Amino acid sequence: MTRIFTSLWKSRQARVGMGLLLFFFLMAFVGPFLVGDPLAFDGRPLLGPSAEHWLGTTGQGQDVLAQTVVGARTTLLVGLITGSLVVLIGALVGGLAGTLGGKTDDGLSLLINIFLVLPGLPLMVVLAAWLPAGPVSMCAVLVLTGWAWNARVLRAQALTLRQRDFVAAAQVSGESWIRILFVEILPNMTGLMVSSFIGATIYAVGAQVGLEFLGLGDLGVVSWGTNLYWASNDQALLTGSWWTFVPTGFCIALLGFALTLINFGLDAVTNPKLAHPQRVGPTPFIPSAVTPSPVSRAAKP
Amino acid sequence: MVVVAQEQQATWIRNFNPLVPTSARWPTSAGVYEPLYIFNEATGEWVPWLATDSSWSEDATELRFEIRQGVRWSDGQPFTAEDVAFTFNMMKEVPGADLGGVWGFLESVVAGETQVTFTFQRPYVSGLQAISQQAILPEHIWSSIESPLLEQNPDPVGTGPFTEVSTFRGQVFQLDKNPYYWQELEVEALRFPALSSNDQASIALIRGELDWAGIFVPAVERTYLARDENYQAWFPTQGGTIFLYANTQVEPLDNPKVREALSLAIDRQRLVEVAMYNYTTPSRPTALSDGYSDWEDSSLKGWTDFDAQRAGELLDQAGLKKGKDGMRTLPDGSELTLSITSPAGWSDWVRAVQVIAGDLRNIGLDVQVKGYDFSAWYERVGRGDFELSLGWSEQGPSPVPMYKALMDPSAVVKVGEPSFRNWHRYGSEKAAPLFAAFDATPDPLEQARIVNALQQIFVDEVPAIPLFPAPAWGEANHTHITGFPSAQDPYAPLSPNAVPACLLVMTRLEAK
Amino acid sequence: MKAAAGWLARRLGFYVIAAIVAVVLNFLIPRLMPGDPASVLFARFQGDLDPEAIEGLRKTFGLQDAPLHEQFYSYISALAHGDLGLSVAYFPTPVSEVLGEGLMWTGLLAGGAVLISFVLGSSLGALAAWKKGGPLDTVLPPLLAFLGAFPYFWLAMLAAWVFGFQLDWFPLRHAYADNLAPSFSWPFIQSVISHAFLPALTMVLVSLGGWLLAMRNTMIGVLGAEHVRYAQARGLTPRRILVHYAARNALLPNVAGFGMALGFVLSGALLTEVVFSYPGTGLLLLTAVRGQDYPLLQGLFLAITFAVLSANWLVDVVTVALDPRTRT
Repeated sequence: MTRIFTSLWKSRQARVGMGLLLFFFLMAFVGPFLVGDPLAFDGRPLLGPSAEHWLGTTGQGQDVLAQTVVGARTTLLVGLITGSLVVLIGALVGGLAGTLGGKTDDGLSLLINIFLVLPGLPLMVVLAAWLPAGPVSMCAVLVLTGWAWNARVLRAQALTLRQRDFVAAAQVSGESWIRILFVEILPNMTGLMVSSFIGATIYAVGAQVGLEFLGLGDLGVVSWGTNLYWASNDQALLTGSWWTFVPTGFCIALLGFALTLINFGLDAVTNPKLAHPQRVGPTPFIPSAVTPSPVSRAAKP
Repeated sequence: MVVVAQEQQATWIRNFNPLVPTSARWPTSAGVYEPLYIFNEATGEWVPWLATDSSWSEDATELRFEIRQGVRWSDGQPFTAEDVAFTFNMMKEVPGADLGGVWGFLESVVAGETQVTFTFQRPYVSGLQAISQQAILPEHIWSSIESPLLEQNPDPVGTGPFTEVSTFRGQVFQLDKNPYYWQELEVEALRFPALSSNDQASIALIRGELDWAGIFVPAVERTYLARDENYQAWFPTQGGTIFLYANTQVEPLDNPKVREALSLAIDRQRLVEVAMYNYTTPSRPTALSDGYSDWEDSSLKGWTDFDAQRAGELLDQAGLKKGKDGMRTLPDGSELTLSITSPAGWSDWVRAVQVIAGDLRNIGLDVQVKGYDFSAWYERVGRGDFELSLGWSEQGPSPVPMYKALMDPSAVVKVGEPSFRNWHRYGSEKAAPLFAAFDATPDPLEQARIVNALQQIFVDEVPAIPLFPAPAWGEANHTHITGFPSAQDPYAPLSPNAVPACLLVMTRLEAK
Repeated sequence: MKAAAGWLARRLGFYVIAAIVAVVLNFLIPRLMPGDPASVLFARFQGDLDPEAIEGLRKTFGLQDAPLHEQFYSYISALAHGDLGLSVAYFPTPVSEVLGEGLMWTGLLAGGAVLISFVLGSSLGALAAWKKGGPLDTVLPPLLAFLGAFPYFWLAMLAAWVFGFQLDWFPLRHAYADNLAPSFSWPFIQSVISHAFLPALTMVLVSLGGWLLAMRNTMIGVLGAEHVRYAQARGLTPRRILVHYAARNALLPNVAGFGMALGFVLSGALLTEVVFSYPGTGLLLLTAVRGQDYPLLQGLFLAITFAVLSANWLVDVVTVALDPRTRT
């Protein structure tokens, strides 16, 4: 891990990304103590930005800055937890398929490919509509619809690793597949798993915001998605109150951008030659079946 | 052609069945089918419509309507007293169609030559309102329909001004005028673009794409009226009142002191400012709006003034003590979470429940906001499947329909069964005889005395929590169409939401 | 040719399996989750619904007491007849009727946006790779990555506000002007295009970066390949090499990703439709969610899934037509 981090630090893009990410972490975990109660009605509704309310007030007279800052916490938490779970499942399923090969691989690959081809959002919406609203349901829905991307990528990697000498040696010496999976294969995929985690987090944040925008989240919770839901509900367009939806939107984009930048840097580390660039998870905005690789080479010859 | 926005739908589904109001398109009861009488909320008068006259028997057990002659259905068949009797008798056969519950007091409905006679089980003056507003169906069509509630009625035959469906697509439909209508009409058609939300409807309105609308518009002076001198908005607050209904079948809301505390905790001044852009004012203690000031006992002191401290004391007395986290628990120490609901697309109400939830959190109640699409919300509150919900009140010529819906024991149905009023399931034994007495007396002085007593009971028993008089949203664009009512010429309510009073407007409109 | 047919048949088999999984999921989800939507209807229509109708509703909602496999059988046989049950929000209209044109408009919007984004992104990517390190190659990828990080619907809100509401350049709702009847006339087509422009634009902006990067990276690989160097050695014009050799070969893996991308862009389209009141399935999905109209929700999920699977298979057919290698 340290090795990955030190090499990441060499990439200018990754540094920018990590800086931005740090900013959002501070915002999410320290910020809430610096701003007021995001649900308190402490101003007239729909005031423009001013010295008192830096980003104005919402349609309910709540402070937009406080909502944006506090919203970061929920959104980031759900994103990170979902990201971890997605990678965990992806590594297990993908690793298992890649390590065992044969019939197991055929079966699991079929399952993975089916989940890849089913349209994500409608499935998410169906699930979210049936489950009670709340962060746990949200995570469950996102994991269930998002695990396949990582499983696919990690399976491919496991398959490659299996061909390597050291794995073959372990197999010959009669080690159990569980040991091979956890000792030989998974530790050698750390880089890819980190980048998968980042990709999955991007996906989770995007999908979560989308679902909440549709009103499928818990409306009592302050998050970036519910901020946008309320902005739309309070007729932000009509009243011209751009400040109710612009800050949150920019935060979402900047967070996604930061994570993407880190991943670009990471790709350069794990795949210096870009011989077989791997996509890193189901980012909702990149057609992931194709295999775009880092911009880093674009920036520097 | 008048372009109207009343319903908010993603896409139009062709249903003109007046017996299924939650699925039927708005013009079904506002253009296609007509009632016997129309109560004009703006003037407080009963306007004879498909009937020309009505008379009570001395003991108020028999009501006789004189049926208008020369009216024809939109397929050319004559409209008769038989049609009226058929409509009511069918509602007896199909209980699901009896939305007003008229067979709760009716004994029989019999058609004569030009008259229809309604016989009541008991003296019932209020029956006039329920009967006269019922949309009348043609016997020659509906007598052969086996399951009236499952009928989509795509090509309706009615007596109303606009009956001919000339266009029906997902994003727009149009009703042309009834070739046989019994009055002169100056506009050719009503047209309805599908507008999926308040936002979409307001934008269409502001851009002059609508001639007539009944929607909430935020900051109407700035966003709408300032744009064009032909734009008009009129939001009178003389009709019903918006209530916070607390389900009295749910602990701890069964305790009137708890309901009183909830009411005291709400800062109504803030509420009308934030949620309603000051279009209305905080409710009076009696919940009566400006339209009923003649009936009001203004000496009554209630529990509608903001007093969070007193609210906290009342909750403490009720045993809802604060836990370590500052949130209150039930008397047995178990967790207390209340949800508050409203239709999801109604941005003013959604804002209102947000503000109320905030106020209630301030006194230590864990209140969650839940939004549902209108029809889902309507089903839930109807079945009593809610804890706190915003809702409207009944309206009528006197305050009695409102109080009756709020606390008449005979209007209370079990939780789980649908009800169109008294969602909160509250019946006052003290009020019950007063309602019966009111329905049996035509004497105005006696009626006034009864209404005074009802107000006292309302204040004593806290059946529901009044928030503010409901503005009747009405917007008009005079660029192509004239003849809309206004504050200067209040011949009828401007709002198309006032069904069926909007028939009064439709028949007065003129194309420029 | 035979090999290609065999490959296509295998792909078809895969999509059929995926469709079966979707059908089974659709059957199981309402039965495994809490909630009782049918009671809503029973409550309202007590006494009037004839026993057959109630039975039908019970089937729709999976409330039968019959064992699961029997329920599954009746569910499948209803499905085979195109019977998706009755909508709750639009009761008593059948779900299949409510779906109506929705799928077509979503298909038009999402399909159009994917196609434009694919063509534009791939061309830009090819150019970026061709002039590696040039201005195009330095500026575009990070810029598009940033744009791509915005939620679809948020860009849609912004575009609606600026270009629709403030500047009034484009219509803000619906798929065509209300005063036009659908036809193959120029005014109608023009109206459809102007209504689809802003929603499509936001989707293209968000998804463009992915195609650009993908094309650029495969292109860089292809440009280093032997046959391209050989062509250069033969003295072919750079333009000819770019179009005929490099771009063509680099395009193939991207076409394969096209089908997959459809699913993603479709998700975006659903949200964008909500912002623009575009009469597609997204708006219906929202109605179904808010109205707790579970039959409609299930019907939408199935319809959208089948559409995506069919589109994927079509893409496979195109891939075979384009790529000689899959034929061998």
